[in-house]
Amino acid sequence: MLNSKFGILTVSIALLLAIFILSLIACILTHTSPHILLTSIASQEIGFAIKLSLFTSAISTLLCIAVSIPASYSLARYNFFGKTLLSTILDLPLALPPLVAGVGLLLLFGTTSFGAWLSDFGLKFVFTPLGIIIAQFAVNISFMLRIMRSTFEGISPRYENVAQTLGCTPMQAFLQTTLPMSKNGLMAGGIITWSKGIGEFGAALMVAGATRMKTETLPISLYLNMSCGDLDLAMAAAVILIIISFVSLYIFERRGGVTRLY
Amino acid sequence: MPFGSEIDHIHSPLIKMESVIQMIRIENISKDLGEFKLDDATLQIDEGEYFIILGPTGAGKTILIETIAGIYRPDGGRVFLNGADVTNILPKDRQISMVYQDYMLFPHLTVAGNVGFGLRQKKVGRSEIKAKVDEIADLLGVSHLLRRYPGTLSGGEKQRIAIARAVVTEPKVLLLDEPLSALDSRTTERLRAELARIHKLTGTTTIHVTHSFEEAFALGDRIAVMCGGRIIQVGTPDEVFRRPNSKFIADFVGVENLFRGSSVVHDDISEVRIDDISVVSSTVKSGDVSVSIRPEDILISKREIETSARNSFSGEITEVKDMGGIVRVVVDVGIPFVVALTKRSYEDMELAPGTRVCIVFKASATHVF
Repeated sequence: MLNSKFGILTVSIALLLAIFILSLIACILTHTSPHILLTSIASQEIGFAIKLSLFTSAISTLLCIAVSIPASYSLARYNFFGKTLLSTILDLPLALPPLVAGVGLLLLFGTTSFGAWLSDFGLKFVFTPLGIIIAQFAVNISFMLRIMRSTFEGISPRYENVAQTLGCTPMQAFLQTTLPMSKNGLMAGGIITWSKGIGEFGAALMVAGATRMKTETLPISLYLNMSCGDLDLAMAAAVILIIISFVSLYIFERRGGVTRLY
Repeated sequence: MPFGSEIDHIHSPLIKMESVIQMIRIENISKDLGEFKLDDATLQIDEGEYFIILGPTGAGKTILIETIAGIYRPDGGRVFLNGADVTNILPKDRQISMVYQDYMLFPHLTVAGNVGFGLRQKKVGRSEIKAKVDEIADLLGVSHLLRRYPGTLSGGEKQRIAIARAVVTEPKVLLLDEPLSALDSRTTERLRAELARIHKLTGTTTIHVTHSFEEAFALGDRIAVMCGGRIIQVGTPDEVFRRPNSKFIADFVGVENLFRGSSVVHDDISEVRIDDISVVSSTVKSGDVSVSIRPEDILISKREIETSARNSFSGEITEVKDMGGIVRVVVDVGIPFVVALTKRSYEDMELAPGTRVCIVFKASATHVF
């Protein structure tokens, strides 16, 4: 197996890459001590950031799931005019830098009459936690769409056909066969969307700004505290983000298979 | 009488006063799905009939029954169920059940959950569902599997459960899409007998799609042969197999000397009664069977032949088909046998229509299925 110079070269590069990644994490973890870390986590500011991050990412993930299920189902099951174009547009956020998406959101909600109209209904997105949610949604929805589309495409439409002949409407058939059979895809997609939502920085910064104790999520907190030199708080935010990433990656891998998409 | 049905009578000379109820009528159905299509298909299927749709892969057989089930809305044409136009009615309101080749059991439900699925949709009470599921599981011999999940079952078990799930709702029509094609030959044979038994028991109008002439011949009251999205012949198995109306069907069906009879087994041989004659086979199978003998396995002679072969009959040549090097002779010995011989021996023996001859074939050449 590993008997050629070429083989040894490729494995060495993989090993070096692993060392590189591990040293990044090690640097963060060793820059602080358990005692300082715990005190920082117990601080009011980090507590606020954890809560805001969990809240906004949970809501944006639920939104992504709710929208991606019907939208990806349409792409997986039906053929219609303009489907390729539609599918390309829905994939765009994958290629768009989050900062750019954020600027777009800021302009949409801050300068248009549509934004003003929403604002009249109390839906204010600019410089509010609501803006964080919409930013996470805009950046992550394409990932969720891709995962759900490939999940639905992997399930034969004949299950729904059989369910329909047994007395289901098309929607009941979907809810009772394809949807429960998509459980793994939904879990994997939900976890990755949630984890990306927690880490979302660029787009959220543009729309919601970085206001201490108002729109301060964990990545924003990391950014703010690094800027003003409070390393203890910054490291606390970083460590929590690392833990969340590891846990979600672990669950994601265990739910299997869908990692192939990336 | 409502005005609409009067119009119907005037325009449909096909509907005559008959005692048989027409369960399904499709008129000029067309559907284009790109890869597969249906082209101007017209069919009528009577109540209680076991109807076979026979054709090679890609002939449009599955689209045809999926259109009957209502999965697809046809591009043109109409579907009638029990006299009512159901073309625009959802599958759930048609009372038509469907079984696919690859079972399509819901993997997240137990076997009992699968079988009871249709009853739950119809809001049948819990205890009644259980009673009906138990009854149908018993009928199909899957009672011991009810608590298991489909993933752990064999192909034959899965298909029995798929059939149970389809018939437990007591549909008006049962659609079977290649139900035996994914199974090994022993399981296929057993399940084929089971399908015949269930049909006899329930009397449900059944449409069975297959590419296997054996299935078609063994089960079908009538057969429709499909090719390239068109229905090219409809008739009883005898009509379709003995008098194919096109070269395609003759080539596709490709069998001669195909008979149905009833078999009795003794001393490790089967004796099959076909009309007035008895044929002996070394294939052991009793009950209602089909028999086929390859034309080239039959010997023909003008005199009585002394032979160890178990099957010997005499009759008259009714027809001679010259196929180039080979001549096919039809000999009527009570039932018509096709015998193949070389042109040379045909001429040497001085055979002709009307000649009285003797035919002989071995028990081992008699295929019973």
